[in-house]
Amino acid sequence: MAVRPGGELAARPLHFILIADCSGSMSDNGKIQALNNAIREAIPHMQTSSDDNPNAQVFVRAIKFSSGASWHIEKPTPVEDFKWFDLQASGVTDMGKALKMVADELKMPPMTDRALPPVLVLMSDGQPTDSFEDGLAELMAQGWGKKAVRIAIAIGDDCDLDVLQKFIGHNEMKPLQANNAEALVNYIRWVSTAVLKSASSPASQSQENQVSGLNIPIPVAPVNNVPNSADDVW
Amino acid sequence: MQQLLKTGQIVKSVTSGQNIKIESYLGGGGQGEVYKVDFNGGKKALKWYYQGSATDVQRKILDTLIKNNAPNAKFLWPQELVESPDNSGFGYIMTLRESKYKSIIDLMKRRIDPSFEHLITACYHLADSFFQLHSKGYSYRDISFGNVFFDPASGDVLICDNDNVAYDNQTKAGILGTPSFMAPEIVRGEAFPSVNTDRYSLAVLLFYMLMISHPLDGKKESSIRCLDLPARNKLYGTEPLFIYDPDDDSNRPVRGYHDNAIEYWGIYPQSVRDLFTKAFTEGIKDPMHGRVVESQWKQVMIGLRDSLIYCGNCGAENFYDQVLLKNGQTHNCWSCKKTVQLPFRIKIDKSVIMLNSGKQLYPHHIKSDYDFSQPIAQMTQHPSNPNLWGLKNVSSVNWILTKADGTKAEVEPGKSASIAVGNKINFGPKEGEISF
Repeated sequence: MAVRPGGELAARPLHFILIADCSGSMSDNGKIQALNNAIREAIPHMQTSSDDNPNAQVFVRAIKFSSGASWHIEKPTPVEDFKWFDLQASGVTDMGKALKMVADELKMPPMTDRALPPVLVLMSDGQPTDSFEDGLAELMAQGWGKKAVRIAIAIGDDCDLDVLQKFIGHNEMKPLQANNAEALVNYIRWVSTAVLKSASSPASQSQENQVSGLNIPIPVAPVNNVPNSADDVW
Repeated sequence: MQQLLKTGQIVKSVTSGQNIKIESYLGGGGQGEVYKVDFNGGKKALKWYYQGSATDVQRKILDTLIKNNAPNAKFLWPQELVESPDNSGFGYIMTLRESKYKSIIDLMKRRIDPSFEHLITACYHLADSFFQLHSKGYSYRDISFGNVFFDPASGDVLICDNDNVAYDNQTKAGILGTPSFMAPEIVRGEAFPSVNTDRYSLAVLLFYMLMISHPLDGKKESSIRCLDLPARNKLYGTEPLFIYDPDDDSNRPVRGYHDNAIEYWGIYPQSVRDLFTKAFTEGIKDPMHGRVVESQWKQVMIGLRDSLIYCGNCGAENFYDQVLLKNGQTHNCWSCKKTVQLPFRIKIDKSVIMLNSGKQLYPHHIKSDYDFSQPIAQMTQHPSNPNLWGLKNVSSVNWILTKADGTKAEVEPGKSASIAVGNKINFGPKEGEISF
């Protein structure tokens, strides 16, 4: 018999969607391996962080794009059951198609009418080869797309930062520039812990330390003070 | 995010000059990371700030806190300021939290299941600790889920993250609080954290602990699709409305979304409901003068603990409510729904204390001095006749028992005064009368 009545504190669903570039160039210099590794590194931290968060039920999904796009992890998976399967790189960069498919998932239904802002993380190393603008327009035509926290990570130096900036849609927030594997690990861990937490149960607010003008209080991204040696740069 | 300090690394206390060895990473928060360290042969906790949080203002706050003592032992107070030869910034040393202390998040997720008695005791200790902090002129400025821990087996509490504590209204820099705990006037940008806004946050925390729900999350919350910052600002800042506002029923909890609020609200006595109602009606409309102060919470928590009754059918803890009795209503068990038989009770001044088996009375009950250190009386059964109950004198002074028929008897320490309707016990400072 329960000692006191009732159940857990009521929580809302929080959808976390990884949007990963798997184009051929991602196979250069171990980028795709670094991405797989970084996501795997982040999982336990994401799980611990969600476990400490009474306001959200976190569900994770992943979509990949190269020549076309497809769901890599299609089912919204409770974060405690989330497992990562390695991505392979080949083909072109159909980013627009991936955004369209994400937009479809943010329609109601399948989305519920009560949730926390979804967190979308776009990770890319290049230039879209299809109509990125159309995909973005479809995403932004959805209420949940507009409300989503959109984070972009540029993998390496050749990424089209303007495209990523358009995806983010707020000038206050810049794409995160991951110039090496360690930076990528740090950024992916940051989005899957600090950003996820901000989207559901914002931590202590201070007057410094956060990006203003957004619909959720995103903390300042970690600084990657890693030397830019030639070996390190992709 | 990253581990700022490495295991085995040596940092140094600026306060005492001691070397400190980093042993393990314990966790990260909004402002920094916490490590277990070896300090002078003992184990301590070290909080090390992220670059952006290691500000001059923060350092000044720490300097002041370290020079002054904690209000009581329940605060994990900054003890020594720490710097590192290998890292910029600073941190501070505090006592390590024992693992028996669990977070309020564990309570919200039902990973711990304390009894009402221990939960109420924890609420009392929190009110008392913030009373003492405020008495010293400090404001805490960030009362929330993550900063408070309690022992579910006793109700003892620990208050962590004291590094935002500052003399009231002295600093406007730094922390604003945690959304949903922040006072509406801070959310609206009209005020900075202060003793007065702490009082709002404390009321939210106590409501969360007793009801496992938020006092403003009702119909307005459930009608919001996307709960983002603008939505929170509206709910908790510009249009705050208590779910049980007696004059406005437009934000009542909604079945299916706010079940806990609905289930718990009716279980507690009217006195508790009244105080929460004041906290979230007057306390919202008139932040300066309408807030519930800590001593009111202390009183109501003591009264709540003294009103615990046990269901004879299923054993669940329930609460005696004077108002129910006056209205001729029965006490129905929240768990098995059967009528709960009331035990003998003793009325001392305005307080009515349930005399359950084993119940202890403390100096506070006869002196109103919040002294719960040593009991003065304990409910016991007669050694040869278990149907006879008595209140055993475990104090050091004689009591006087006046029976219903007017006869008087002296009750020496170690002896028991018999419990019967109409009996009066004079404890010295105060007299109590037994009823059933």
